Amino acid sequence: MSYQDEKKIKCSEFEELLTDYLDNSLDRQTHKAVAVHALSCPLCHALLNEVKDALKLCREISPPKTSITHLEARILTMTAPETAMACELFEDHLTDYLDGFLPAPIFHRWERHAVLCEKCTDLPGEVVRTIAACYTYKMDELPIPQGLNAKILRATIGTEKANVVKVDWISNATEWIRGLRFPIPLPQLAPVAMMMLFAVLVFSQTVSADGSFQGVYQKGFELAEQTYRQSAGVWGGEIQTEQKSNQEPINGTYINDEENK
Amino acid sequence: MEALKAVATSNGADLVRRCRAGDGTAWEDIVSLFSRRIFNLAYRFTSSVEAAEDLTQEVFIRIYKTLDQYDAKQGDLANWLMRLARNLIIDDYRHRQRNPQNTYADDVENHTFHLRAIGNSAQKDIERRELCAQVQEGIDKLPTDLRTCVILRDIEELSYQEIVEVLKIPEGTVKSRINRGRIELAKILRRMRVVNI
Repeated sequence: MSYQDEKKIKCSEFEELLTDYLDNSLDRQTHKAVAVHALSCPLCHALLNEVKDALKLCREISPPKTSITHLEARILTMTAPETAMACELFEDHLTDYLDGFLPAPIFHRWERHAVLCEKCTDLPGEVVRTIAACYTYKMDELPIPQGLNAKILRATIGTEKANVVKVDWISNATEWIRGLRFPIPLPQLAPVAMMMLFAVLVFSQTVSADGSFQGVYQKGFELAEQTYRQSAGVWGGEIQTEQKSNQEPINGTYINDEENK
Repeated sequence: MEALKAVATSNGADLVRRCRAGDGTAWEDIVSLFSRRIFNLAYRFTSSVEAAEDLTQEVFIRIYKTLDQYDAKQGDLANWLMRLARNLIIDDYRHRQRNPQNTYADDVENHTFHLRAIGNSAQKDIERRELCAQVQEGIDKLPTDLRTCVILRDIEELSYQEIVEVLKIPEGTVKSRINRGRIELAKILRRMRVVNI
């Protein structure tokens, strides 16, 4: 068979045939086609490896084998009967044994019991199979009943046509603001706010004559004007012999310098 | 599983943000991503398709109302959502156990399990379907506290610590219930000739 005559498969077919491919239950031509596809498609190749790994893991979940023989266990029980373990205690330690958390002294007594007790000997294997059965059950999920999603949408947003529910720009903006991350955490903003308030109070009570913001502004304006006049005079060569001070003091009380003289 | 992969790639926080802003399609995405997993979790506790369906709807209504509480910094959407669903389903299960008249009819035999079409023979599908039904039947026979622990550990695959947080019981109790639950389930399945060696 020439290269052109070889059977070719698509990715979807590859997925469908994968399990049978791994079970070696495909006919020769299809088996070869799956192998060729796995080599040519990186995604399917990765999938094949994933499935292989999962199967390997499942195979590792086999009933635990005890490291002690029946004869050894019998000899130990006859020579040291006080170390025998009761069935109840054996069951209590089962999960710890499977998890590998049993301390050495209990571990050996546990294994000895597992070998000798006819009632308990199959239990570890059965528990391991039960866990594997639960895993199979987990993987085989039920499909959701028909119409469940629509029912949920009706019960929550009132319609099953979700695209009808449009987002308005106000809500969008609100959510955007809500999602903003402040560089300074809110608790640290408190001292900053206190300092700002303090500064405003100081300015309004010292610079302003009447304690208002308008007073602060007016005073600032006057000072700016005065500074400008002085600068303009210096620039024009005027020598200020007497500087008229007609400023309001910081406590807001008006003082006339001429009257003081 | 596919749903969780999808949400891992998409931004759960963004989905929630759009939802909170009133975007219906974002909420539809969340519903379609998680409904199957939540429905299956509900089914494992109720053993009834109808009851699981109702419970799933209730869970989503509660999720919808509490979306404001979701904080992306405390974990991804899938974790938050499944934790919430788990708590609600377990609460419902405990409530039903205290009020036996509210227990759902067991319809394990009646439901149809999902059959995968990936190259499996009909015989394998039937076998798996039977095994799943038997496992659910066995789980149903467990006492309430053991059943909850076995489902959370061996089906939901939660860690011991996560189970401690969900059930609010000490870790030692969790471990002992899991151990006892597994042994009881193994014995039940042995009697049903499911796990015979």
